[in-house]
Amino acid sequence: MDRRNFIKAVGAAALMAPVLIREALAAVDQPHVVVAEGTDYPAITRKAINSVGGMKRFVKAGDIVVVKPNMGWDRSAELAANTHPLVVRTVVEECLAAGARKVKVFDNTCNDARRCYVNSGIENALKGMKNVECKHIETERFKKVSLNGQFLKEWELYDEVLSANVYINVPVAKHHGLSKLTLGLKNVMGIMGGNRGFIHRNLDVALADVNAHVKTHLTVIDATRILTAHGPQGGNIADVKILNKVIASTDIVAADAFATTLFGMKPADIPVTVAAHRRGLGEMNLDRIKLVRV
Amino acid sequence: MIFLAIFLVLFVVTEYRGRDEINAAVNSFFRVDPLVLLSYLLAAKTFTWLLLPAVLMVLATLLLGRFFCGWICPLGTILDLVTPAIRKSSPIKMLKGNTKYWLLFPLLSASLFNLNLSGLLDPIAILLRGLTFLLYPLLGLTAREGWVELYRLIGEHRDTLAPAYNLVRGNLLPFRDTLYPLAFFSAMVLVAVIALERYEARNWCRNLCPLGTLIGWLGRFSPFNRVPVGVCGDCGQCRELCPTTFDQGVLNKEECILCMECQLGCPHGRISFRPSRKLKLDGPMLPERRVLLGGMVSGLLLAVPARFRSPEKGASLLRPPGVRGEDDFLKKCVRCGECMKVCLKNALYPSAWQAGVEGIYTPLVIPRLGYCEYNCTLCGQVCPTGAIPNIPVSAKKREVIGKAVFDKNHCLPFAKRIDCIVCEEHCPIPDKAIRSREVQVIGFDGAMRNVKEPYVVEEICNGCGICEYVCPVETKAGIEVFAVKNRSPVSESAVHTDRFGESGQSGYSIR
Repeated sequence: MDRRNFIKAVGAAALMAPVLIREALAAVDQPHVVVAEGTDYPAITRKAINSVGGMKRFVKAGDIVVVKPNMGWDRSAELAANTHPLVVRTVVEECLAAGARKVKVFDNTCNDARRCYVNSGIENALKGMKNVECKHIETERFKKVSLNGQFLKEWELYDEVLSANVYINVPVAKHHGLSKLTLGLKNVMGIMGGNRGFIHRNLDVALADVNAHVKTHLTVIDATRILTAHGPQGGNIADVKILNKVIASTDIVAADAFATTLFGMKPADIPVTVAAHRRGLGEMNLDRIKLVRV
Repeated sequence: MIFLAIFLVLFVVTEYRGRDEINAAVNSFFRVDPLVLLSYLLAAKTFTWLLLPAVLMVLATLLLGRFFCGWICPLGTILDLVTPAIRKSSPIKMLKGNTKYWLLFPLLSASLFNLNLSGLLDPIAILLRGLTFLLYPLLGLTAREGWVELYRLIGEHRDTLAPAYNLVRGNLLPFRDTLYPLAFFSAMVLVAVIALERYEARNWCRNLCPLGTLIGWLGRFSPFNRVPVGVCGDCGQCRELCPTTFDQGVLNKEECILCMECQLGCPHGRISFRPSRKLKLDGPMLPERRVLLGGMVSGLLLAVPARFRSPEKGASLLRPPGVRGEDDFLKKCVRCGECMKVCLKNALYPSAWQAGVEGIYTPLVIPRLGYCEYNCTLCGQVCPTGAIPNIPVSAKKREVIGKAVFDKNHCLPFAKRIDCIVCEEHCPIPDKAIRSREVQVIGFDGAMRNVKEPYVVEEICNGCGICEYVCPVETKAGIEVFAVKNRSPVSESAVHTDRFGESGQSGYSIR
């Protein structure tokens, strides 16, 4: 072996190493994605959470938990623009049962916050629950955070998320004009302040930047009904497809990757998923995801 | 006092507080307002059932007299409350005599010539504008800034006080702190009315108020009279007690606001208000002919030049949803500011000069500051005269405010050849009035890439302005809404007014 070949071999090995190591790790710790199906939405939400290890795996007694649904649009629950209120409520109930000190539910809405909170049905579904907050966003709570990402160097994020012990991401699965679909990774936009439209110019990389900073401990995707077109706010019941499914995973990319298949697409079709996977935020290869149906 | 309280309560509830309908709003005060009624009749030359209460008020005034001013008018009550604290010099001579008619007649005559400006001098409108445009936002801003400062001081600990703050905010404070044009001017007019108390009590009411003048004139026909008519020789206490008249020693019926202070305060118990024969002491039915004619002519002279409006202003003349024609709208609008107060996203602002002199204080949609919320119909609900029609949500969604137009020099996919389409995402029309097509372009960095270029589907655009509002381009948006002449509604099929199309609450059950 001459010197040139040696260098080549070493170079190749160095390049391959991360991939090989990741492969090896993946075999040991394959991400689970749980899919629960049924028409009793609280029951399937509970089933899905229990199958990824139960809420006690994430929430310890005395924790402050943020449950972040989609409730950005002034649309009723049937139109699949917002997370189903029963799914949100069940996640919140599970957090409380696991001993959470406080559960905070909010979204930085696109339409008028008052109308979104009311018309999504979420505010009403949480009404009267103890130790649960469903407050509007207060702009003074946005804190400039250094992200050191590839596109976003810094951005304003909501301090209640930053200071929480557990962050649970509860998006609804729906179509989106620019990112094709909006799922867990995109739902993180609801904790961002500032001129959010700005990130549209490099959406997939920007979302990877934010998701790399804000760790989602548990992703619960509401696919009880999905919005198949004219997303992200829809408005026509004909665009809504009822699937009666709830998806749960500790791996946000894996959860998104599986949810993509519900729309008849491949994970690789969604640039946001691909960018997050490349960033090492999770697994998007369906062959390497362990699917559990309950 | 009761009516001032009612007024303030209604003022506060004229806001979205979690329900799509507002049952009671401060518009009730305008709907009983005879001046609003009369100028509406003269200008619009039709009748609306919304103003039926004002007709009843006219009848009640004919029967009882000028009780509105002493009992109902919230501005009058405020004057009564502050006037004891203001030391009086002597009355202004200039304001005596026919001044009030010189205000009332031109207003009415201008209305006849299609310029309805009576709202400018209507006391309730003056009060409401002062409150809406300056005092209420000031209150909201102060409370909010305090709350934010508290956060800076004690951070998360502020949460312990949150329930109390939320209670106040949810029930009393404005949801959003908005700054309005003309705010200072509106408040100054209100302050000026109060400052007039320096010269005599109820100075505005006696000598200027066109509503009071109108009601006073109507009240002359009332069969009820104060007995005795004049000041008793042995007492004269009435001079002190009476807030409005009696400076001449006789009761001027037109100016008597039936506050009953004289009856309550009379040491001898001599005074009563009861039906009696007509008084001889009444002045002429109408002021001299020259005042009448002069008023008419000045109304005409006012009406014609005020309608001048430079043409380029027309493009941004966006009216609230449901308003189909500019002329009709101007004839009916009271300029009370209620629509602007209630507007969910603060899309409505008073016109200062954009709509010409005749359009001062009329509401304009300024999409860059706020957009018209798709499922909201509040402005039409609170409009006292129906200038903004009160229509169901399904119909309102189709009403055209204007049409959106892209400015390719600013819009990112065109100007910078990068992706954006925030506007398409926010367009509330289910079928999307903004769509995009994927095109291959050579970026300015030389690389070939696919970019989504947006376009407007004009037939189904209702001009709500959310696209312009959310456009991430700074200051000037890459898409703007322009006024259009033809405001016929977009087709029913575009908004899918099926069973979920109506904004209705979710049909799911919680249990």
